[in-house]
Amino acid sequence: MNDISPAAKAAPQAAVVVERTYRAGVEDLWALWTTKAGFESWWGPEGFRVEVHRLEARTGGALEYDMIADSPEAIAAMKSMGQPLSHNTHGTYAEFRPHDRLKLVHVIDFVPGSEPYETAIEVDFGVAGDQARMVVTIHPHLDPHWTKMSVMGFTSQLAKLDKRFGWMER
Amino acid sequence: MHTNAFETLADPTRRRIVEALRDGERQVNDIVERVGIHQSGVSRHLRILHESGFVSMRPDGQRRLYALRPEPFRELEAWLADYRRLWEARLDRFGAALDQRRKDQDATKKEPGQ
Repeated sequence: MNDISPAAKAAPQAAVVVERTYRAGVEDLWALWTTKAGFESWWGPEGFRVEVHRLEARTGGALEYDMIADSPEAIAAMKSMGQPLSHNTHGTYAEFRPHDRLKLVHVIDFVPGSEPYETAIEVDFGVAGDQARMVVTIHPHLDPHWTKMSVMGFTSQLAKLDKRFGWMER
Repeated sequence: MHTNAFETLADPTRRRIVEALRDGERQVNDIVERVGIHQSGVSRHLRILHESGFVSMRPDGQRRLYALRPEPFRELEAWLADYRRLWEARLDRFGAALDQRRKDQDATKKEPGQ
């Protein structure tokens, strides 16, 4: 039974934590999360781009953008799932402590057959010498429809990324 | 299967039952005590957990003992591993965007006339 306990413990409050360290100023990391140009430069899964329409850089501030399928593979994946190629997405900066901590709450209102629900991403920033550290905590959706969509839509993209970055399959 | 596993655990009472079984097999009365709802509710959720493969049941005389099964948790872990890789890929894009931002800043510094 020993191999069950950690998973059983983790699954109900499942969270994924990804930590990265960059040789950069923490203000540059912060800008990528909290400015229009910064956010547009990286947000979204591979094959998608975003166009930010509203970004209020403060606690409780709104974030509104279009997520747009931007590669043949992403367009084909969205079409195969009967999803539009672009959807308007809303979020809120629930916490906004410059260069320290950010909590971004998204409203997921585009999943067919599912009532709108919220999902949170927490980002903690730190400085160590000339390096900036970022810890991203993502709370995966327990919604089964989203799960299905994400597995269908993104797994194929991951294989491509693995190849591009020379990663090995685990 | 992933879909079913998440659907099963989306219910907070079922998550409490899973937590009650974390340390080993238990009979219904024990689970009722730990979860704090009526036995009929616990039995209904145990049936759902059993049907979806999360829980096994074995008779022991007059008692029925329930325990967790590892398989669906392994599948959830595999799903989470995929999810993590998705985010690691996103943060590679973040790193690339950060590099580009710094290059742009350096270029601006070198060409102050612009």
